[in-house]
Amino acid sequence: MLRFATLRLGRAAITIALVVTFAFVVLRLSGDPALIILGPEAPPEAIAAFRKSWGLDASIFVQYVDYFGAILRGDLGRSMRDGRPAILLVAERIPATLALTLPALAIKIGIGVPAGIYAALHRGGPVDRLVMMLAVAGFTVPSFVLGLTLVLIFSVQLGWLPSGGQESWRHAILPVVTLGTGGAAILARFTRSAMLEVLGQPYIRTASAKGVAWRAVVTGHALPNAAIPTVTMVGFMVGSLIAGAVVVESVFSWPGVGRLLVVAVANRDLAVVQCILLLVAGTMVASNLIVDFLYGLLDPRLRAGGRAGAH
Amino acid sequence: MTHFSRRDTLRLGSALAGGLALPRFAIAQADNRPSITIAVQKIVNSNVLDVLREQSNVGERVFFSSLWEPLITKNWQGNLERQPGLATEWRRIDDQTVELKLREGVKFHNGDEMTAEDVVFTFGRERMFANTEAKNRSTLKAFETIPAPRPGKELPPEIPAVARRAWPDLLRVEAVGKYVVRFYNATPDVTLEGRLSRYGSDIMSRRGWEEAATYLDWARKPITTGPYKVAEFRPDHSLTLVAHDEYWGGRPPLRQIRFVEVPEVASRINGLLSGQYQFACDIPPDQITGIERNVAFEVQGGTILNHRLTCFDKNHAQLANPLVRRAFTHAIDRQAIVDSLWAGRTVVPKGLQWPYYADMFHADWSVPDYNPKLAQDLLKQAGYKGDPIPYRLLNNYYTNQVATAQVLVEMWKAVGLNVQIETKENWTQIMARGPERAVRDWSNSAPFNDPVSSIVNQHGPNGQQQQIGEWRNDEMNTLCEFLETSTDRAKRKAAFRRMLEICEREDPAYTVLHQNATFTAKPKALKWKASPAFAMDFRPGSYGA
Repeated sequence: MLRFATLRLGRAAITIALVVTFAFVVLRLSGDPALIILGPEAPPEAIAAFRKSWGLDASIFVQYVDYFGAILRGDLGRSMRDGRPAILLVAERIPATLALTLPALAIKIGIGVPAGIYAALHRGGPVDRLVMMLAVAGFTVPSFVLGLTLVLIFSVQLGWLPSGGQESWRHAILPVVTLGTGGAAILARFTRSAMLEVLGQPYIRTASAKGVAWRAVVTGHALPNAAIPTVTMVGFMVGSLIAGAVVVESVFSWPGVGRLLVVAVANRDLAVVQCILLLVAGTMVASNLIVDFLYGLLDPRLRAGGRAGAH
Repeated sequence: MTHFSRRDTLRLGSALAGGLALPRFAIAQADNRPSITIAVQKIVNSNVLDVLREQSNVGERVFFSSLWEPLITKNWQGNLERQPGLATEWRRIDDQTVELKLREGVKFHNGDEMTAEDVVFTFGRERMFANTEAKNRSTLKAFETIPAPRPGKELPPEIPAVARRAWPDLLRVEAVGKYVVRFYNATPDVTLEGRLSRYGSDIMSRRGWEEAATYLDWARKPITTGPYKVAEFRPDHSLTLVAHDEYWGGRPPLRQIRFVEVPEVASRINGLLSGQYQFACDIPPDQITGIERNVAFEVQGGTILNHRLTCFDKNHAQLANPLVRRAFTHAIDRQAIVDSLWAGRTVVPKGLQWPYYADMFHADWSVPDYNPKLAQDLLKQAGYKGDPIPYRLLNNYYTNQVATAQVLVEMWKAVGLNVQIETKENWTQIMARGPERAVRDWSNSAPFNDPVSSIVNQHGPNGQQQQIGEWRNDEMNTLCEFLETSTDRAKRKAAFRRMLEICEREDPAYTVLHQNATFTAKPKALKWKASPAFAMDFRPGSYGA
């Protein structure tokens, strides 16, 4: 177990180091923050002063070594836009993002999983066709198109809900529905496929032949076995909680981490971008670890370290 | 003896509480002024509300004339001509000194009265110049002690640089009396009054600065004299201003102005149509017809103090010959661009100048005429063989930028110029030196009403074009120095004309395409008139009148 955890954590650390390095190289080689933040009409002496102040006049290698060293010391740097610690800026935005992504995750799981199960249990029927039609539509329509369509209907035409902003819970409804719809569609398709595969297995037929009630067959045998791909997908969605709403936050003017990331990348505000990337990478790694452990709970063969499959 | 029971005491207490509360309630009820919400693409770029750090068009919109005010202001409802602001009158002591009489009874947002002390502080080292020196300073530095900034109050490094660019030769500002100040320049300068009206010369409360714990605290809620004061600023999200009822110009017509950041144009328009916003700014020209199809809405706005240019790098192998650059300038049908891409709602200006230059404006000057035959002849004389000329382009940093570039390339192609677009991501890539740098886009503003603020600052020896090594002309540089220091207005005007001839005709550094414009959509029922600028004027008399 210790070896398993050490290996996973080591891999996670390498992944994060690569992400940080990649982002640094791409951002620093593709634009000068001084010129971007101060603008093309800024006096040359102002740009020079800005560069000197933030160490941008040093060689790219020196900047990288300084930056990486600071991260190892736990210093994630300061925003070049307002001089505050990057971690503070990001932390301020996390609640706003979670206010969208957590309810959206509940919608994804609450609608997607039951819809997928129901469709699988009624394969070929009108409900299955309807669910799959909606799922394909939800999966293929880009979130900005769905978001703007919802605004046109519920804000412009009906006047029921605000079109953007973050003033009250009513402002969250449309972005949460936009975020939740696509995810629910994905989960419905995954769950249906997994269920159909499991329902065709011999042990399901055996259980039915033994006279086990169909409800018990589904809940006791089919669902746990079909859960693994669904858990994988849910794990990915949990990992995207922090930065998974970039487009929706822009469409609905929601001041979350996604919007901060867009603005920080556009301004080459390196410390803020890196801070968000570290957070996202950390969340994703933690989510993957949890999913790995859940696999073990759901499948005894995996709990035995894969040895069960060798017998 | 009168006895008070517990019930009586409670009744009395309630009556007293009610008595205290009622007047306030009545005041609140009496304030039936409207509040408005304005959707903008960006509130500020730098996350602060400091006029010296946020030097941008978007900043101009939220700062003027709601929050910050200068001693000499612009007529935002007219043609931006100079008019008294926080100073009621001014006079020249000599070519290097201006004396101003301050408006009495002006109250800052913290209730303090504005005095000469605040003006002196605003133009001092702690707030503006740090340890920078006037360019032509002749006095000895040793006599002056430069105070070290207090911890947390260090200015961002670009502020002194920006301030010095705005006031290159300002020696000091002195309080002559409680309401009289003098500005001393190191050299003769006819533009001092203009500089006093420019973006960044706005007055702040000294106590407001001193009471803020850090620069950032101050810059997020500056104490100024404008008709509205900062109630809440959430960077990248919203800025809420509330009425400053002690405003010297009268009671502001709005109770609250809320700017909200809505990056997507479709979301801004939807919010306007649904009634969530009263104003939607930064409307692209191609959306105007769609909005005005709804008879309840209109799009206002128009030209601003900013021209779109195409810049040339004369070091490029094909552009070294000025005849080729001249061919570029004559191949452009500017009016076609204005009519097709701007729905005719902007203009082709008279070169890099604005009518508000007043006596320095050359009304008989014009951009090079559209003459494809002449362009072809010039290319023939230059011996141009059709070698490719790169055109570095950003993806719509400016409104209609990509569409304009595509039109330009076709127009140039029609006269025989082989111009090839290279899409870049940011300004660093656009300006990167090298043999492939040739043609690029830019825009120039005029912060005050003199060519020193535009052609000298942008294309002179300290301007960006020369600093990044794109272009240089010795005669132009001599004229720049003359324009900055001469007090002979007739000779200055002649020098400016010669500069236009050099930069736009003989040895083109750039060519002006059209004046820039900004458009704001609003319900027709709202009585408000857009200024010929990014600034949005909500002072008494400018809204609802």
